[in-house]
Amino acid sequence: MTAVAEDRFPRADWELRIENISKNFGGLQLFRDLSFVLDAGNIMGVIGPNGAGKTTLINVICGQLPLSSGKIYLGKRDVTGLPPHTLSRLGLVRSFQQTNTFKLATVRENLMRAMRFAGSGPDTWNLIDDLLDAYELKARLDEVSDSLPYGLQKMLGLLLAYVTKPKVLLLDEPAAGLEQRERGNVDRLVMHAQENIGCSILIIEHDMELIRRLCPHIIVLDAGNVLAAGAPDEVLSTRSVIDAYVGRSDDDD
Amino acid sequence: MGAFVARIGRAELACIVLSVLAFSVPFLTHDRLFYSISNQIMIAVIAAFSVFIMLRMNLISFAVPAFMAIGGYAAAIAARNGLTDVFALMAIAFAFPALVALPLGALVLRLRGVYFVLVTYILSEILQLFLFETPGLTGGSNGIAGIPAATFFGISLGRYEYVLLTTAGILLLATVITAATTRYYGQQFSAIEENEVLAQSLGLVVWRYKVIGFVIAGGVAGLGGYALVTMLLTAHPSSFSSFSGVSYITYAIVGGRTSILGPVVGSTILVWASNLFSSQAQYSQGLFGVLIVFVIFAAKGGIVGTAEYWLKRWLRKRSDPGAGDDLAPVGRSKDAA
Repeated sequence: MTAVAEDRFPRADWELRIENISKNFGGLQLFRDLSFVLDAGNIMGVIGPNGAGKTTLINVICGQLPLSSGKIYLGKRDVTGLPPHTLSRLGLVRSFQQTNTFKLATVRENLMRAMRFAGSGPDTWNLIDDLLDAYELKARLDEVSDSLPYGLQKMLGLLLAYVTKPKVLLLDEPAAGLEQRERGNVDRLVMHAQENIGCSILIIEHDMELIRRLCPHIIVLDAGNVLAAGAPDEVLSTRSVIDAYVGRSDDDD
Repeated sequence: MGAFVARIGRAELACIVLSVLAFSVPFLTHDRLFYSISNQIMIAVIAAFSVFIMLRMNLISFAVPAFMAIGGYAAAIAARNGLTDVFALMAIAFAFPALVALPLGALVLRLRGVYFVLVTYILSEILQLFLFETPGLTGGSNGIAGIPAATFFGISLGRYEYVLLTTAGILLLATVITAATTRYYGQQFSAIEENEVLAQSLGLVVWRYKVIGFVIAGGVAGLGGYALVTMLLTAHPSSFSSFSGVSYITYAIVGGRTSILGPVVGSTILVWASNLFSSQAQYSQGLFGVLIVFVIFAAKGGIVGTAEYWLKRWLRKRSDPGAGDDLAPVGRSKDAA
């Protein structure tokens, strides 16, 4: 999948490298000496039980929370400690777990703001044209985003991150709260991003099926450490992972 | 014409028209009480505009009296030193507080909302202290009296009718600045108001827009301070008490924070009402407190927002008798976009 894409996109600094990062809240240690690499143009899944530090991981990568120690690189550039808007401008963009839109603005205004703030230009409308069709948002462009059904608000939130044309896109539980039949919308967005802008994507998710479908590579976090890493089928069948996580919560999904 | 209105915004245009109409007050009557109340209302509107600009980004500023004082005193000191041209004085009254707001804003706007509110309140208190403790510059507790009248192309503006026209001119300038700012930065301000974290994560330098708003709001307040000094013929610390900041916030919130018409309507009604019940003036602050609580709980859009809501509902019911109950609650005014 990535070999094809690599020919089409200039990806000099599209790799996200996490080196020995730690995050403490007072005496509580969320993770310690955590390291991994998201290769340029790849999709990586991050799973782990609740409280494993997954959302905190995204928050520190995106500059919303300060790191306690360690380094974060976007390509060769050290981006540790940069504020969220600077990281966003550099191409490191996240989505949020809760529906996150500008609630009083229309769908159109929401998307226009995202394009404007990111400086991605009005031609970005062409990029997402077929996605707007697929999500049936095209007829609702002038509706206030707060009045959309939950599933569509969630997809709009993902689109807002997407229209910034990120180099590295971090998705924080993109399928959480979606009905089973709506979850394909997340796949569609991820595939679309891979095909059209070729960005690297990190997905945090509890939906194992979605992770299996989309991620050729996953890491499992438990108590702030990487418990296992590799291809999903292989990782999800290791004993320690089943003990720590899958055995307990797979039934819930 | 329609496109022109859409570009400026209906509410913004209405405010500019109202400001222009304010020039007619001295020609309508010779009633001194009417003059006085009109003048007070105009000054209140300018001060409430300053509050409104920051409210557009979900920030409550108690610093309005401080910036009014800086603008008012700067103009008074300049006039005492021989500069009487009304345009130059307006420029000074805008520029000085804006210049003070720039480094201050750059510093305090990195603070989270509630701390920002506190700091603006403390700023007003510190400025009071400064005004009292620097008699060489500000006249201390005597203030600055005997300010020479401003001049308009050489014509003295000393008569009360001319003072009113001066205030109307300042109001017009403040209205145009406020309308232009909130319109030009409308999308950024709204994004910050609705979801600051999201805006920042999409690449908006939130802090920069807050500073821009703070600087302009400071300048607008300074214009209000100059108008107040012109009306009272003196610059005195008591005109700029930190408590008056509460009144200005009340005008903006009760009038409605969702539209620029809000501060205009709120100031007009509340200043007029305060004068009507002036024998019980000591209760006005308490009454304003109750009003804010009422608006926050019962009518978030304030007078203008609530009126807009019912008007839209009524219009919709008229065009489609079955509909109207599912209308979204009062939100941002969506003038002909």
